[in-house]
Amino acid sequence: MRSLVSFLLLALVASVQAISSSGGNRLLVILEDVAEKAGYSKFFGDLEGMRKSLPYLLPRPNVRVQAASHHLLIASATGRGFDIAYETPKSESLSLFHLGERSYDHVLFLPTKAKGLGPNLTPNILLEFINAEGNILLALSGSTPVPSSLVSVLLEFDIHLPTDRQGLVVDHFNYDTASASEKHDVLLLPTPGPLRPDYKDFFSLSSSDAPDGRERAGERVVAFPNGVGQTLGQGSLLSPILRAPSTSYSYNPKEESETIDDLFASGSQLSLVSALQARNSARFTVVGSADMLSDKWFDASVKKVGEKTSVKTLNRDFAKAVSGWTFGEIGVLRVNWVEHHLNEEGLSNASNPKIYRIKNDVTYSISLSEYSWDKYIPFTVPENDELQLEFSMLSPFHRLKLNPTISSEDSTTYSVSFKLPDQHGIFNFLVNYKRPFLNNVFEKNTVSVRHFAHDEWPRSFVISGAWPWIAGIGATVTGWLAFCAVWLYSAPPATGESKKKQ
Amino acid sequence: MAAAEGAGSTPVELLVSLGRNQSTKTLLKVIILAIIAAAAVASRLFSVIRFESIIHEFDPWFNFRATKYLVANGFYQFWDWFDDRTWHPLGRVTGGTLYPGLMVTSGAIYHLLRFLTVPVDIRNICVLLAPAFSGLTAYAAYLLTNEMTTSSSAGLLAAAFMGITPGYISRSVAGSYDNEAIAIFLLVFTFFLWIKALKLGSVLWGALCALFYGYMVASWGGYAFITCLVPLHAFVLICMGRFSLRLYVAYTTWYALGTLASMQIPFVGFLPVRTSEHMPALGIFGFLQLVAFLEYVRSAVPSRQFQTFLYVGLGGIFGVGLLGLVGLTAGGYIAPWSGRFYSLWDTGYAKIHIPIIASVSEHQPTAWPAFFFDLNMLIWLFPAGVYMCFQRLEDEHVFIIVYALFGSYFAGVMVRLMLTLTPVVCVAAAIAASQLLDTYLQYKSPEVVDNKEEESSDGTTKKSSKQSSLRSASQPVVGIYNVLSKAFIAGAMTLFLLIFVQHCTWVTSNAYSSPSVVLASRMPDGSQHIIDDYREAYQWLRQNTKEDAKIMSWWDYGYQIGGMADRPTLVDNNTWNNTHIATVGKAMSSREEVAYPIMRQHEVDYVLVVFGGLLGYSGDDINKFLWMVRIAEGIWPDEVKERDFFTPRGEYKVDADASETMKNSLMYKMSYHNYASLFPPGQAQDRVRGARLPDQSPVLNSLEEAYTSENWIIRIYKVKDLDNVGRDHAAAASFERGHKKKKAIKKRGPRVLRVE
Repeated sequence: MRSLVSFLLLALVASVQAISSSGGNRLLVILEDVAEKAGYSKFFGDLEGMRKSLPYLLPRPNVRVQAASHHLLIASATGRGFDIAYETPKSESLSLFHLGERSYDHVLFLPTKAKGLGPNLTPNILLEFINAEGNILLALSGSTPVPSSLVSVLLEFDIHLPTDRQGLVVDHFNYDTASASEKHDVLLLPTPGPLRPDYKDFFSLSSSDAPDGRERAGERVVAFPNGVGQTLGQGSLLSPILRAPSTSYSYNPKEESETIDDLFASGSQLSLVSALQARNSARFTVVGSADMLSDKWFDASVKKVGEKTSVKTLNRDFAKAVSGWTFGEIGVLRVNWVEHHLNEEGLSNASNPKIYRIKNDVTYSISLSEYSWDKYIPFTVPENDELQLEFSMLSPFHRLKLNPTISSEDSTTYSVSFKLPDQHGIFNFLVNYKRPFLNNVFEKNTVSVRHFAHDEWPRSFVISGAWPWIAGIGATVTGWLAFCAVWLYSAPPATGESKKKQ
Repeated sequence: MAAAEGAGSTPVELLVSLGRNQSTKTLLKVIILAIIAAAAVASRLFSVIRFESIIHEFDPWFNFRATKYLVANGFYQFWDWFDDRTWHPLGRVTGGTLYPGLMVTSGAIYHLLRFLTVPVDIRNICVLLAPAFSGLTAYAAYLLTNEMTTSSSAGLLAAAFMGITPGYISRSVAGSYDNEAIAIFLLVFTFFLWIKALKLGSVLWGALCALFYGYMVASWGGYAFITCLVPLHAFVLICMGRFSLRLYVAYTTWYALGTLASMQIPFVGFLPVRTSEHMPALGIFGFLQLVAFLEYVRSAVPSRQFQTFLYVGLGGIFGVGLLGLVGLTAGGYIAPWSGRFYSLWDTGYAKIHIPIIASVSEHQPTAWPAFFFDLNMLIWLFPAGVYMCFQRLEDEHVFIIVYALFGSYFAGVMVRLMLTLTPVVCVAAAIAASQLLDTYLQYKSPEVVDNKEEESSDGTTKKSSKQSSLRSASQPVVGIYNVLSKAFIAGAMTLFLLIFVQHCTWVTSNAYSSPSVVLASRMPDGSQHIIDDYREAYQWLRQNTKEDAKIMSWWDYGYQIGGMADRPTLVDNNTWNNTHIATVGKAMSSREEVAYPIMRQHEVDYVLVVFGGLLGYSGDDINKFLWMVRIAEGIWPDEVKERDFFTPRGEYKVDADASETMKNSLMYKMSYHNYASLFPPGQAQDRVRGARLPDQSPVLNSLEEAYTSENWIIRIYKVKDLDNVGRDHAAAASFERGHKKKKAIKKRGPRVLRVE
C-alpha cells in the first residue's frame, strides 16, 4: 500500500516536473523590495501563468492581428508554469540550498541597491549554484550600481562591467526620439540574428510572426533603456546575445558626465545581453537593462531617429526568448540513447559490445531530442553545421558526419557506418557537439579494439602467394621420405658401420 | 680393498663397506639429493614465514595477473589476450608479447592438482613455484656436474651449492614469481642435455636439448644466452680442431629443432632469423655444414696441400658469410643488435642512449662486493674449478671454460646476470671442492710403499698406520697423506662449508626475503613492525575508484597497480613503448599547465606518487625523478632539460634552494603537497634527503589530494575536471581559497578584442 502511495506521489511529481521546463520550475526572484514586482507584472505573468494543455495557438501568417491582442494571445497561451518565489537579499530565510540540494532551479536577479547581497548570496554560493546546474538570469540597470558579489561572480566568468560598478550605454544615432531625446540612453536595436551562420537562431524572433508591417529585419525592434554594457573575455563558453550598435559607447553618468578619460568599451565590443553556458550546461545570462523587462517597455511605442512613424517594441518576445533560454526551455538537447554494433555478416551484432577487432565494420547511432518550450521535438542540426562522430585514441582516427536516419515524433536518430582503423587500442566513440545556445552534447563510449586473434587470419592455402612455399614443404617431405626409403633399402654392409661411428 | 671388506668389525668399517655397495650408493645419492632439494626449498621460505604467502616486487605481479587470466579464460584466450587495462590508451597485445612458459607451467600444475582433487589456490602455486623449481635446479646441476667429472661427490656438492647459493636465491625465493624462477632450471638442464648430446653424438639427446631449449625460449628472454653460448662452444671446438660427427649431429639437431620450437612463441616469432643476437647460431650452423663437407672431402682426398687450401677456402667462405651478414644488417633485413645488447659491450652506452634501460637498478654494473655477497667462497673455488677443467679439457670441459668466461663477463656488466653466472660457478666450484675433498678425505691412504700395505693388512688399526706414516716424516709420501694435513684441510673445508651455509642463510633471510610490497622495520624494543602502505593504498584504489579509473604513475608501479588495485595504468614495467613512458615522465616533470593537457588527453583520473620523505624510504619517486627527466628529455629535448632541475651549483636539492623548475614540477608538488603542515613551523624535514623544507607547501591547482597512506609512502591525487565556468585551474583554485579576482583594468598593451 505504502509503496503504491509513494509510487503515485512519484508519478505526480514526475508529471509536475514534466510540464515545467526541462530543468525544473522553481524560480526565485531577488529584488530590492517585493513590491517592485508590480513593475514587471507582465514578465512574471508570462512566466507564472498555468500552462494550457491546448496546443500552442499560432496565428496564421496571413491573418492580420492587432499587435496588442496578439500579445495577449501569446500571454495566455504560453503561461510557462514557473513557481515563482520573491525574496529580498536581506531576507533571513533566503537560501539557495537546502541540505546540500538546490532549493530553486532558477534565480532571477533584479537590480538591488545594496552594495553587497548579504551572506546568503555570496559569490561562492552563486558559483556553487551554477555548478549544481542551477540557472541564473541577472538583470542590471544603468541607474543602480551592481552589487559587488555579482561583480565578482561576473569577473569569474570573464564578463567585465564598467569601473565603479556603474555605467550607461548611449548611442547618439540609434535612440528612441520619443522618450530619450535628451539622454539618448534608450537604444533601439534590431533583434539579433545568429552569431554565425551555422548556429541555431533563438533570438531573432523571426518565427514569432510579428505583424506584417514589421516583417523587415530592421523593423523588429527591441528597446534597451537605461542599460549597462558588458565586455566579454575570450572564453568559448561566453557568447553575446545582443550586441550594442557600432555607434554606441558606455560611460559613467556620475563621474564622466563631462568628458570621458578612459573609455570602457564601445561599439560591438559592448554586449548588452550576454550568456554563459557552463560545461555542465547550467546557464547564466546577463541582461544589461532590467527596464527592458518591465511592463513599461514590453509594448511601448518607440520612434527611431529620422523616422516618422512609431513602432511597437518586441521586448516581450525578446524577454521570453532570453528567459526561456536561460531557464532551459529552449535549446536543451537530450541524448536519448547511444548505440553501436558490429556490422558484419555471420557475426553477432549485439548492441554496444565492449570490444571490437581492428578493421571491423561498425555502425554508430545516437538519438537526439530538443526541448522546445513544452515538449521534446526531433533535433535537427542547423543548416551549415554538422553533427560529427570521432573515433579517437589520443587523437581522432576518424571524424565522420552523422546523418539523420530515423525521425520520430520527438527524436532524430543520427548514425554512421564505418570501418575501424588498423590500430588496436582503447578507443572512444565520441560525439562532442558544443555550440553556443545549445547545451553540450558530450557522449564518450569507450571500446577496446583488439588485434587479430591467432585463428582469424586467412589460412595459408587460401593465400595464393603462399603456394610456392607450401609446394616447397611438400617437396621436402616427399624428398625426405624418398631418401629414407632409399637409404634403408641400400643399407651398407656391416663393415662400413665402424667407420661411420668414429 | 679386500682387506677392508673383510675387517668389518668397527662401525666405521661397516659404514665404509656399506658405502662401497653400488645400490647403497645410489640410495644414498637419492636421499642426499632429496635432502638438498628440501634444503633448497626450505631456505626460500623465509619470506612466507616472516610475512605471508604474497607475490613479491613488481614483475611477479604481472605474471600472477596473467596466470590468473590464463586459469580463468583458458589457453587460447590467453594466447590472443588483448589487455586493455595497461598502457592506456594503447593497450597491449599481452598474449603476443610475453614469455608464456611460466604462466603455462603454473596453469598446468594448477589443473593437475585440480584433477587430483587437491584444491589449491592459484596464488599459492605461484608463490611456491620458484622454490619448487629450485629443487629441480639443484638436480640439474648435479647432472651437469656429473658429466664433467667421474667423482659423484662433485655432483652432489654442485647440487648443494646450487640449492643454497644466494646468487640464485635472490631470484627464486617464495613469492618471487618471475620468469627466472623456472628459467634457471631450464638453462642448467638444457646445458646438461647439450653436453649429453655432444658426448654421445645422439639425435635423441639433441632433440631433447632442443625441446628444453624451446621451453626455455617460452620462459625467459635470457634464452639468448643459450642461443649464443652453444654455438660459441661449437665454434671453439672447431677452432681447436675438435670437429667430430658427434658435434655435427648434436648441433644440427639442436639448432634445427630448437629454432623451430622457439619460433612457435609469438613474442619470438621470426626473430631467430631476423636479429643479430641469433645470427651466431645460424652462422655456426652453416659453418658446421661446410666443415663437415670439407671433412668428408678430406677423408676422400688425403692431400695435405689440398687440405690447407680447403681451410683457406673455408676461411674465405666464413668471411664472405660474415660480410653478407653485415650487408644484410645494413640493408635492414636483419635487425641490428638491440640496445640492451650494446649495453652489454659498452656499459656507458645505455646511460647515454637509452636511459630507460640504464634507469633499472638491476641493469647497473656489478660492484665487486656483490660477487662475494652472492657467491661467498664459491667465488674463489670457481677459478680453481675452471683450472681443473683445463687440466682435463674434454669437449665438455671446454664448455665450462667458455661458459665461465662469458658468464663472468656478463655478470660483471649487469647485476642481473649474476644469475646466469651462478650455475657455472657452482659446477666449477664443486669440481674444485670435490677434488680437494676426494684427495684429502681418503679414509685409507693409497700408500705407495709396500710395507705400509702389509702393516695395514696385518689388522692393525688405522691409527697405527697413520702414526707410522707420521713417524716416517722423511719419506716421500708425507704431504697430503699426512693425517695432520688431512685433518687440517678437511677441517678447514668443513669450516668453510659451514660458513658458506651460514652466510647463505644470513643473506637469504636478510637481503632477499623481503617482498618489497610490505616493508619491515624494527620497533625500539626489537619487535617487527610492518609498514603496509602499498597495499593500503592499492586497496583504497580498488575500493574507492571507478573500475576504469586510469591511474598515472611512474612505470615501476604499473604492474602492482594492475595486480593489486586492478585499475588501468598508463605505463608499466613492460617498458615496450619508450615514448609513452617519456610522456608520463614529461607530465611528472613539467609545470601543471603543461602536465594537465597531457593528463586530459590520456584520460588520467588519478595520479599516484611514492614519497618516502616522512619515513626515510629511499626508493621513492623524488629519488627516481631524474630518470623521469632524462627519459622525457630523450623525446622532448626542448621542453624538458635535466640541467634545469639542478641548482646553479649543480646540486640536486629539494629544500628552499631547489631550482624553480624543480619546485614547479608536478612530481615535486605532489610529493610535498601539504607536507609542511605535518611539522611545527620551520621544522619540516625530508628524512630521505636530509633537507629542511620551506614552511610553505607547494600549491596544487589542477589536482586535488585524494588519498595519502598511513606513512605517506603513497600519495594519490585526483585530476580535476575542467572548470565548469571556463576559468583556468589556478584562477578557480584561488577563488576557492577566497581571493577575489582583481579587476582586469589598466592592462598594458592593446585591448584584446573579442572577434566572432
